[in-house]
Amino acid sequence: MPPSLPFIRLVHRNLRKYRFKIGLSITIAILVLSLVSQYIAPYPREGLGYVPVGEESRRLLPPSPQYLFGTDTLGRDLFSRVIMASRSAIIQAFSVVFLSLIIGLIVGVLAAYFKGLVELVLNYLTELFMAIPSIVIALFFRLTLEAGFHVVIISLVTTWWAWYARITYVYAKGVVELDYVVLAKLSGLSPAKIIMRHVVGVIIQPILVQAISDLGSALLEASGINFMGLGLPPGYPDWGVILYEGISEMGIIAFTRAPWLVFYPGLFILLTTLGFTLLADPLREDLDPRLRRRWKLWF
Amino acid sequence: MPVSLNYIFKRILLSILVVIGVIVFSYILLLYTPGDPAVKWAGNPRGPEARKAIEIARRELGLDQPIHVQIAQFIYHVFTGNLGLSIAYKVPVSQVITSGFTATLELLIFTYLLAVPLGLWLGIYSALRRGSRFDSFIQSLSVVLASTPTFWLGAIIALISYSTTGFLPYGRVSYKLATSTGFNPITGFYLLDALIQGNYAVFLDALLRIIPPALAISVYPIGVVARVSRTLVAEALLEDYVRSAVAWGVRRNTIIKHFVLKSIIPPVIQISGLAFVYSIVDAMVVESLVFGREGLGSILLDSLHKADFRVTIALAIYLTIFYISVNTIVDIIQASIDPRVKI
Repeated sequence: MPPSLPFIRLVHRNLRKYRFKIGLSITIAILVLSLVSQYIAPYPREGLGYVPVGEESRRLLPPSPQYLFGTDTLGRDLFSRVIMASRSAIIQAFSVVFLSLIIGLIVGVLAAYFKGLVELVLNYLTELFMAIPSIVIALFFRLTLEAGFHVVIISLVTTWWAWYARITYVYAKGVVELDYVVLAKLSGLSPAKIIMRHVVGVIIQPILVQAISDLGSALLEASGINFMGLGLPPGYPDWGVILYEGISEMGIIAFTRAPWLVFYPGLFILLTTLGFTLLADPLREDLDPRLRRRWKLWF
Repeated sequence: MPVSLNYIFKRILLSILVVIGVIVFSYILLLYTPGDPAVKWAGNPRGPEARKAIEIARRELGLDQPIHVQIAQFIYHVFTGNLGLSIAYKVPVSQVITSGFTATLELLIFTYLLAVPLGLWLGIYSALRRGSRFDSFIQSLSVVLASTPTFWLGAIIALISYSTTGFLPYGRVSYKLATSTGFNPITGFYLLDALIQGNYAVFLDALLRIIPPALAISVYPIGVVARVSRTLVAEALLEDYVRSAVAWGVRRNTIIKHFVLKSIIPPVIQISGLAFVYSIVDAMVVESLVFGREGLGSILLDSLHKADFRVTIALAIYLTIFYISVNTIVDIIQASIDPRVKI
C-alpha cells in the first residue's frame, strides 16, 4: 500500500527515477559523512583547526597515501579538514532553508488570507528584504558580532525568507478564493484551522520541493560568505573557509603551487549542491506538468 | 504603447518606498547592533585622537536628537551622497563607492553581453532538437554548472590559464603597461577608456584580464537564460499560431525568428535582469579574492578589515538602490513591450 502523506507519496513515486536515485545517494552520503567524519578522519584535531607545532616540513605536501588530499599552508591534513567540513555545510544549508521556509510560509499565507492592510504591509516587507544582498547583511553583522554560524545563518535568513513568502503568497492567493475555503469560512471554522488545513495543506508540496532544491543554493551562498571571510572564523572546518585560507594565505599563487588546496573543497561543494539539485528536479517535474517531457512537435 | 503612465508611476513609487525602507533598516542596524553607534561610525578609533573622532561622529549622526530627526537627516545624507570621509581610504565615501561600481559594472556588462545571447542561442537550439544528444548534453551540463561555486570555477580557470599559457589574470590592467603607455582612466570603464584613447596595448591587456572572471560569472546567466528560453520555445512551438503558420506553409526559419523569438523576448529580458542583480554578489566574490581586481568586492573586504562602517552602510544602501533600479527598469521595459502584462 502506498504511504498516505502526499509528500511521501510524491517521493515514493519518484524513487525509481535515475536522477532522483543519484541525488538521494549523494545527499545521504554527505549526511552520513557529516555524522561520522570526526571518527573516520585520520587527523581529527587538525580537522577542527589545530595547527601542528614544530612540523614545518609538513606544509603544502601534495596528495599522497598518508595525506589523501595533501596538506595546507599550516601543515594540516586537508582530507580531515574537508570531510569534517561536511558538517558545517549541512548545518548551514538546512538551518537557513528551514528557518526561511517557516518565516516565509507564515508571512505569505497571512498576506494572502487576510487582505487589505495586512496584505499591503507584508508584501511591502517581502519586497524590501528581497532587495538587500545577503553578503552586505553578513558584513554588517560581522562588523559587530563575533564570527560564527549565527552570522551566516542570520544574514542568509534575513533575505531568504522573502522568497518563500513570495511563492507562498502566489500559491495561496490562488487557493483562498476557491469555493471550499469560502465555504469553510462560512461554516465558522477558525482562521487558524482553515489556514493550516485548507490552505497550507494544499500548497505545501511545491514549496517543499522548492526548499529542497534551495538547499544547494543556500550552501553556495553560505560558502561565498565564508569564502569572503565574513562568516565562520579562520581555522573552522568549512569548505568556504578552507578555500579562503588557501587563497588568502598565498594569493592567487596558491592555485599554481598547491592546486589541491583549492580543488578538493570546491569539489565537495559542487557534489553536495548537485545532490540537492538532482533530488529536487524530478519532484518538480512531477508536480509541474509543464516541465514534463510530453512534447509533440509540429515540425 | 500598451503600458500606462499610471503603472510606471506606481512601480517607481513602490521602489522609492523600498529604498527608504532599506535606508531605515540600515540605520537601525547601525544603532542597535552591539556597540556604540558613534564609535562604529568613527571606525573604532584608537589612540589619543579617539575621543575627538567619536565626538565628531556623534555630531555627524546627530545622536543627541530624536530618532525620527536622525533618520530623516540620514536619508537626506544618503540622497545627497554625503556620508563623510571613508576611514579606510581617506576620500569621500561616495567616491569610493562610485569607483567600485564602475569597475564591477564593467565586468558584469562585459559578462552579460556575452552570456545572454549565448544562453538564448543554446536554449533555442536545444528546444528545437529536444531529446537529441546535444539537448541532453546541454541539459546535464547546465545542472552541473548551476551547482558549481563561481569562485571555485574562477580559481580553476585561472589555474588552467596559468598552466597552459603562463599568464596569470590578476588585477584589471598591468600597471607597468598602463603607466608606460600613458593610459589615463576617464570613465573608469578601462576597456572603453583604452579604446577612446586608441591605446590598443592596454585594451588587449584589460581584455585578457577581464575574460577569465567573466567566464566564471557567465556560467549562471548562461544556464538561467538557456533553461528559461528552452522551456519557453518548447511551449511556444505547441501554440496554435505556430500550427497555423506551419499549415500556411511559412518557412521554418521565419516561424522561429518572427513568431517564436518575438514571444519569448520579454520573459528573457526579465530573467536576465533578475540574474544580473544576482551576479553582482558573484562578481564581488570572484573579482576580489580570486582575480585581485579592484571593485565592490575589494571595497567590501577593506571595509571589513578596517571596520569602515560608513563604507559598509553606503555599500549596503547604494547596492540596494542599484538592485531596485535594475528590477524596476526591467519591469517597466517588460510591461511596455509585452502586451500581455496588464496591471
